[in-house]
Amino acid sequence: MSPSQKKRLAIVGLVITGVGVATFLAIMSMQSSFEYFKTPTQINSEGFEGQRSYRIAGLVRKGSVARLEDGVTQRFNITDCEQDITVQYTGILPDLFREGQAIVTVGQFTEHNSAPMLVADQVLAKHDENYVPSEAADAVMLQQANKCNDADGAVTY
Amino acid sequence: MNPFTSIWTFLSTTYHRLGSPREFYRISRYVTPVFGFLFLTLSALGAYFGLFVAPADYQQGDAFRILFVHVPVAWMSLFVYVVMAVAGAIGLIWRMKMAFVVTICSAPIGAAFTALALLTGSIWGKPIWGTYWVWDARLTSELILLFLYFGIMAVYYAFEERKTAEKAAALLSVVGVVIVPIIHYSVEWWSSLHQGVTVFAEGGPKMPPSMLLPLAFMAVGFMFFYGYALFLTMRNRVLINERKSKWVRALAMGESI
Repeated sequence: MSPSQKKRLAIVGLVITGVGVATFLAIMSMQSSFEYFKTPTQINSEGFEGQRSYRIAGLVRKGSVARLEDGVTQRFNITDCEQDITVQYTGILPDLFREGQAIVTVGQFTEHNSAPMLVADQVLAKHDENYVPSEAADAVMLQQANKCNDADGAVTY
Repeated sequence: MNPFTSIWTFLSTTYHRLGSPREFYRISRYVTPVFGFLFLTLSALGAYFGLFVAPADYQQGDAFRILFVHVPVAWMSLFVYVVMAVAGAIGLIWRMKMAFVVTICSAPIGAAFTALALLTGSIWGKPIWGTYWVWDARLTSELILLFLYFGIMAVYYAFEERKTAEKAAALLSVVGVVIVPIIHYSVEWWSSLHQGVTVFAEGGPKMPPSMLLPLAFMAVGFMFFYGYALFLTMRNRVLINERKSKWVRALAMGESI
């Protein structure tokens, strides 16, 4: 390599390193704003602001889904396996919605029975990174619905 | 001569020959159709196995089959960027004409892959998530990648003088390469609606071989599509760049090179 090539190699190397470090620092300082959702435990410990929209993710708690008297509003708990949050949603739920399914709910908090309740205007289903042939799925689906009962408690949203 | 030395000599002469626009033009004429043929064959096989042989997914049913297009084009959107940035760096450091041509010609192809990844992801998102779009880390960073590709193309065409344009576009592509690890790790570093890593997950792919095989066919097939599209556009650009040289004039007069 000629001296001028060496110099340009050094410049390109410095530019990449500089941009990399700057980006890394910027990302580290804004870490929490890149998160798409919060968990029920975070809300229960941090509290909530009334006029703000939140995204909360968790698994639909087994046996918690109930339909209110108006016939179109449903109330259910979502859990991160430590704590629960009650969610109320009026409208059509996604096809994947079922007990044990990971979902993301979007809406505002109110007090209900002196606990925070999310009045959701959007419910999104969150599928995980596992792909399993449907004919071999029974055991896996069972495992999915009982995720919180696992001894090691490893939950991926 | 031992085999390693001769392989090295072969690679190094091929590299240097491809560094010459004229040699590239001569050789690519034979290589380009081979790439096109491999793309068609592999993606046809991948589409057949993906649509008719692979089993339905237990959660998503048949809707997951869009994965066989979405995942390869999303991988390619990153792969093309890396190739473009490495070529840009080679061009900047060694002032190699053909490296700049690789950078400039890769940008629109990479942009197309990125746009397709966003589009197929959006189509997939509606029935499974229940929405076409959310601003989570993965989707947003992939959208930034699309704008980066547009930016590199815009910078190149904004300059009158070709050498300045090439250097500016190459520099932007090198600077922008930080987006690649951010996109890849976005689903691990932050919570997102987008799923985590399936194929390159720790402890092996979280997918049976019956689904991995068509995915592999599609991925390699799309790689050859990139080669095909790249060489076609590079051949055009070489003719434009070298239009004043003897061999292009001779070519225009109907002579062979």
